[in-house]
Amino acid sequence: MDRGMVIFLGALLTFSSSWLGLILLPFWQLRDEQPYKKDDGDEPYPRPLQGKALAGKKVYQNNGCMYCHSQQVRSARFGNWWDATGEQKTGADIKRSWGQRRTVSRDYIYDNPTMLGTMRTGPDLANIGVRNPSEAWHHTHMFNPRSANAWSVMPSFAFFYTRERVVGARSDKALGLAREWTVDPGYRWRPSAAEWDAVLKERGDTILAGQAEAIDIKTAEGKKRLLDFWLTTPEEEYQVVPNADGDALVAYLLALRKAEVPLPEAKE
Amino acid sequence: MVAPTAPQLSPRDREKSAAERAAIDASCRAPVVAFAASAVAWLLVGSVLALLASVKLHSPYFLTGSAELTFGRVRMAHLQAVGIGWSSLATVAAILWLMCRLSRAELVYPKLLHVSCALWNVGVFLAVFGIIFGDAQSVEWLDAPPYAAPFFVAALGIVSAWTVAVFRRRRESHVYVSQWYIMGAVFWFPWLYLVAQFMIFWSPATGVVQPIVNWWFGHNVLGLWFTPAAVGSAYYLIPKIIGRPVHSYYLSIIGFWSLALFYSWAGMHHLIGGPIPGWLASASTVGSMMMIIPVLAVAINHHMTMRGHFHRLRYSPALRFTVFGAIAYTAVSLQGSFEALKDFSEVTHFTHYTVAHAHLGAYGFVTMIYFGLFYYMIPRLTGREWASPVLIRVHFWCAAVGITTYFAALSIGGWWQGRMLNNPDVPFGKIVDYLRPHLFTRSVAGVLLTVGHLAFAASFVMNLGGWGKKRAGGPTFFVEPVQPAAPTHEAVAAS
Repeated sequence: MDRGMVIFLGALLTFSSSWLGLILLPFWQLRDEQPYKKDDGDEPYPRPLQGKALAGKKVYQNNGCMYCHSQQVRSARFGNWWDATGEQKTGADIKRSWGQRRTVSRDYIYDNPTMLGTMRTGPDLANIGVRNPSEAWHHTHMFNPRSANAWSVMPSFAFFYTRERVVGARSDKALGLAREWTVDPGYRWRPSAAEWDAVLKERGDTILAGQAEAIDIKTAEGKKRLLDFWLTTPEEEYQVVPNADGDALVAYLLALRKAEVPLPEAKE
Repeated sequence: MVAPTAPQLSPRDREKSAAERAAIDASCRAPVVAFAASAVAWLLVGSVLALLASVKLHSPYFLTGSAELTFGRVRMAHLQAVGIGWSSLATVAAILWLMCRLSRAELVYPKLLHVSCALWNVGVFLAVFGIIFGDAQSVEWLDAPPYAAPFFVAALGIVSAWTVAVFRRRRESHVYVSQWYIMGAVFWFPWLYLVAQFMIFWSPATGVVQPIVNWWFGHNVLGLWFTPAAVGSAYYLIPKIIGRPVHSYYLSIIGFWSLALFYSWAGMHHLIGGPIPGWLASASTVGSMMMIIPVLAVAINHHMTMRGHFHRLRYSPALRFTVFGAIAYTAVSLQGSFEALKDFSEVTHFTHYTVAHAHLGAYGFVTMIYFGLFYYMIPRLTGREWASPVLIRVHFWCAAVGITTYFAALSIGGWWQGRMLNNPDVPFGKIVDYLRPHLFTRSVAGVLLTVGHLAFAASFVMNLGGWGKKRAGGPTFFVEPVQPAAPTHEAVAAS
């Protein structure tokens, strides 16, 4: 092969073949997909993201959430496993209640970028808005995932939240987390012995007053018991509220409802 | 078949061809060293980012609380730093130097390549720090913010044009297999990059066409940019160092054309089980299985060339790194073909098994071969030998033990992660707990790799600073050979 032209034409042809086959063909096949309506009066599905959820998609994108969370539910026939009796079964995604059905290309027609994901360090999120619709839960989990699941290795997104002094009434957006999570945002806080002594000296009586049974704080064990209780109560003077990014991100998660509406092509 | 031997040259021919090589190397010196040096710098940046990301996966409280250093951003920045920084810049250095050497032509207008190198570095800088400060795209391999792309396009355009220009001015009429690979790479990668940028960012296709374009790109970056340059480099270095021609010309032809045809079809196996048309994944599974042909062709060719010369691995750093990379190429490619099978992918998709595979390819194969190339090429460009065999030994063993540990830890962990993910009776928390020791081991491996990179960078800086002895006799060996190095060392007519 001593001629540049042979190499060039060969490289062009082999590469074009894959470009035609893997890019243009699916592009033509999928470009006319329309939202689904069962009856004329129904709301079309899917619908494009709007407002806060759309802003939240950008937060999800900029912070690389998809590198731990996929957004696709795989078929009921996908992936073998064997139950306790040794019987072969499939379809873990659906059985883990990550979606009632598999996702298909029509679920994604308005997605840009389409963050299918490549890794499941964390659970699938295609349908998280249906599976867990609690805004409050998502906020506390986002602020510090260990507050919800001790085993979690998800990063804390405390930088989407502000810890501020309560002025007047508590904000209705304030997180319902106890002080062990909020005193040092992003970490789990526990005072040193000296710090705890100082707190006890200052307002030990107030803390003790809330106790159902008597605690003797002169003993080490009593002090520890009262501390454990105190850490699980919210801070009186401070509150944690989501900033715009945190708000938007949770709105996006709640809008992820991909496997909700049945689609004819997703039946199996 | 008679074993091929090196052609016999008269001492005068030898001298003439050595002078010619020196002139070619002199023309390459400034731009190729600039590309190589910035590659090494990004390797260090990428190592730090990798360590951060790795530690965060088992110790989530490590450096928490900063948006800039959150796992997702650091992970994307790592891929840009090592993929578009280190590996791509090293690829350019390899392409330019090998093309000049093999074409027996001087680099034309070498100074203009500094513009390309500067543009590329600005691009990587914008990519890495743009991601860190919140502009990441979450499109795997293409996470760089859109404002970085024009820099890569311009830089790549210059590199491709220069490579073709050198090729057209070749004095050597025989076109060697490495040159075919390089010609393919400088043509494929710009096209690949432009199509991906166009269909994902400038005029975005929505829906699942986007991940399809994404994986066509992501897979082909490895197969049609890094692989041809790294395999081409091994095809040059192995015969050159041991002093005998490549085993079989025909095998190299089969290897090249089957790679060109099949690799570009293989990318969709990344979406097996996903919401894409079924025929697409099937087409790519076929492409992936067919990849066994080029891989075996290259493996047999390199092995047969090396046969009887394996003892040289004791002495030559360049050869040892290159042969490690060539073996990893065979291993990772065969593994990749089987991973594309549906039954296999059902377990390994969405797991760290894939991460282990990716690093065996990008590190065990591509990076190790570039280390080998640098150990051979840099002294010829700077005129100085490597100052310290100890540093090279530290580099080799850290890299070899590091990547092996990395691969073992994540392959085992990832496989069982996949098995447990497929079983809905296993609670998710149990899978996370199971993986932590494996991820910790990966961090230890990452520390080893980073120590190796520091040793490498130290050697590199010392060489540029003129600390090595002047190049006159033999190269720097791990240990001095028992017999004097074969005189054919420099004189093989691979070019």
